Amino acid sequence: MKKIVACYKWVVDEADIRVEGKARSLNFDRIKYKISEYDRNAIEVGASFNEKQGCQFLAVTCGANVEASLKDVLSRGPESIAYVNDGALEETDSSVTSKVLAGIIKKIGEVDLVICGEGSSDGYSQQVGPRLAALLGYASVTFVNKLELTEDGIRAERKLEDGVEVVELTGPAVVTVLPDINKPRIPSLKQILAAKKKTSEKLELAAIGLDSLALKQKTLDVSGTVMERKNIQINSGGMTIEEAAQKLVQQLKADGSLA
Amino acid sequence: MSGDIFDCIIVGAGPSGSIAGYLLAQAGLEVLIIERGNFAGSKNMTGGRLYSHSLEKIIPGFSKEAPVERRVIKETVTMLTGDSSVSLDFQSELLGEEKKDSYTVLRADFDQWLASKAEEAGAILASGVRVDDLIIQDGKVTGVIAGEDEMEADVVILADGVNSLLAQKAGLKAELKPDQVAVGIKEVIELPANVIEDRFNLNPGEGAARLFVGDCTKGKIGGGFLYTNKNSISLGLVFTLSDIGTEGLSVPQMLEEFKQHPAVKPLIKGGKLVEYSGHLVPEGGLTMLPKLYGDGVLVVGDAAGLVINAGYTVRGMDLAIASGEAAAQAVIAAQEKGDYTAPNLAHYKNLLDNSFIMRDLTKYQDFPIFMENHRIFKQYPQLAVDIFKDLYLIDGNPLKPLKKTALSHMKKVGIVNLLKDAWKGGKIL
Repeated sequence: MKKIVACYKWVVDEADIRVEGKARSLNFDRIKYKISEYDRNAIEVGASFNEKQGCQFLAVTCGANVEASLKDVLSRGPESIAYVNDGALEETDSSVTSKVLAGIIKKIGEVDLVICGEGSSDGYSQQVGPRLAALLGYASVTFVNKLELTEDGIRAERKLEDGVEVVELTGPAVVTVLPDINKPRIPSLKQILAAKKKTSEKLELAAIGLDSLALKQKTLDVSGTVMERKNIQINSGGMTIEEAAQKLVQQLKADGSLA
Repeated sequence: MSGDIFDCIIVGAGPSGSIAGYLLAQAGLEVLIIERGNFAGSKNMTGGRLYSHSLEKIIPGFSKEAPVERRVIKETVTMLTGDSSVSLDFQSELLGEEKKDSYTVLRADFDQWLASKAEEAGAILASGVRVDDLIIQDGKVTGVIAGEDEMEADVVILADGVNSLLAQKAGLKAELKPDQVAVGIKEVIELPANVIEDRFNLNPGEGAARLFVGDCTKGKIGGGFLYTNKNSISLGLVFTLSDIGTEGLSVPQMLEEFKQHPAVKPLIKGGKLVEYSGHLVPEGGLTMLPKLYGDGVLVVGDAAGLVINAGYTVRGMDLAIASGEAAAQAVIAAQEKGDYTAPNLAHYKNLLDNSFIMRDLTKYQDFPIFMENHRIFKQYPQLAVDIFKDLYLIDGNPLKPLKKTALSHMKKVGIVNLLKDAWKGGKIL
C-alpha cells in the first residue's frame, strides 16, 4: 500500500487584502486565511487515490498560524495531518519552507509520493516542490495535469508550453499539479463531521532536526501594482477611420509598443 | 449522541441558532449547528444595532468580550424633504444603562463570535454546508438532508433566516409575499474613529443612531438609517419589497440619492465605501407568524418572522436571541420527558407568549397597517419643514404669528387627517 503526502500552504485570502493610498500599501486588517487554491487540487489527488485505491494519505503543512487550517484540510480527504506551527515561520521563503516540509515528511517516513500544488496562491514561486524533491532525494515532476499510480512508481502527463509530455518513473517522487487535474471537493456534512475525529500530529522544529532557520531573503516592502491608464482618445472630433488608425499607429510607436 | 444521531440539529448559525446551540450544549446535549456560509455571519446583515437586554440575560457582560462596535448614547430622528430636514435629537446617559443599552454591530464579526461561544460550550459547527431538505417520517421531522448526506436528530431547530424554505417544507409556513418583507440595503463607509467622534459629537466608544423618514424612501413606507461603528458608518434604507420600482427608481439609485441629500452628504464626506449589502427583512409582524413548532421541529428568529416593524425601523436580533433561548428551554424540557412531539414542544410557544416577543409583536400588530398611511412618509415631513421654514427664514417681509402659519400648513394635510393619525398612532403605541 502506497503512502501519499499532500503539502499545502495556509495563505491569506487575496480577496481580503486592500490596496491603499498612493503608496499602494497593502492593508491586512480584515483578512481571512484559506488553503492555497492549487494545493486544494493536490489534496484532491491524494484523496482520490485514498478513496479509489486504498492508499494511505496524509496532509503536511507548516507556518506560524496553521492550526486554524486543520479542520478544513481534514474534511478534504486526508486520514491525518502532521504539521509544524512555530512563530519562527512567520516570515519564510521557499528554501526554509521546503526544509521544514522535508523534515516532516522524513519524520513520517517511507513516503512514496508527495503531491504539491504547482505554486502557492500568494507567492507562486513554484519552488517548494522541486526543492522538496532535492532535499528528499526524490524524482521531481512538475506541471502535471494527469497522474496515475503504477506498480512501482507513477505515470504523469505534463502540460508544457508547446506540448504534452508523458513520463513514467519508478521510485518515490514529488509531483506538482496544475489546476486542470481535477475539481477539488466542497466538503460535505459527513466529511466535515468525520474530520473532527481524525488525528493531527504537531511536531516541533527540533523534532525534525531544525534548530535554527536561516532566512537568507528578507522582504522589505510589499505593495500593489496598478496599470495607469493614459486615457488617450484617438478618434475624437469626427476623425475618419484612416486618420484615426494612423494616429493610433503613431501613438503606439511613440510608446514603444510597436517597433 | 447514540451512533450517528444528534440530540439536536440547528440549521443556521445566526444569533437565534447560535444561542440555542450555546444553551443546549451547556445543558449537555449533543448539538450540531449547520451553517450555509463559509463562516457564521458571512451571509448575514443588519442595519446595525443590537439591543442588549436579551443577550445580557444569557451572557452577562457580553459587550466586554464580544466584537461590538459602539454603545449608542445618541438617537436622532430626521424628517426629510427633497432639500430640507427637521431633526429631533435625544442624548442621554439613560441610553447607556446596563441591560437597557444598545450596541452598533457588524454581523460578520459578531455572528462569528456568538457561534464560537456555542462551539466552546461543546456544540459542533459545520460551515459551508447547505441543508437541502428535512427528513420527515410519519409527519415527524427526524433529521436533515445536505447534498448526499443524511443526518438524524431527535429534534431540529430551523434558524435558517427570513426566507426559510425548510419551514415551508415542514409545512409550518407559506411562501413569503412581497408585502410581508422589506428589503434592506446598506453601505459600510470607512472613516477614521476620531472623524466619526468629531462629526457626531461622541466620546471614544460612544455611538450614534439616526433614523430618516420621508424623501429617502420617496414617500413610500420605510426609512433610512445611519449607525456609527468603530471605524465606519453603516448607512442604508429599508422599505417594503412590493414598493420597489413604483417611483421609477432602482434600489441602488434610491440609496445614491439618499447619500446625496444635504442632510446626509456631510456625514459621510471623505469616507470610503468598503462594503455593500442587501437582505430581506420580515416585517409582517403577527400577520405572518408561522406555526412555530411541529413534531420534532421548532422555528426561531427571522425564520419565524420574529421582527418588530415600527414602520420606519425594524428590530429583530434581540427577538432572535430570546427565541433561541426559548427554543433551547423547550428542547431541554422535551428531552427530560423523552418526547419531542408537537404537544410537548408547544412549551416553546408558551415561553414566547409570556415573553416580550409576543407582547411587543401584539402591541405593534396594527402598526404596519397604520404606517401604510402614506401621509407619514410624504406630507408630515413636508409639514414640519414648512413650519420651521416660516420660523427661521427672515427675508424682511412682515412676520406672521406662528399659530397662523402653522395652521395654514396643517390645513394642507387636513386637520381631520392629522387628528385621526395622531389618535390612531397614539392608540397603537
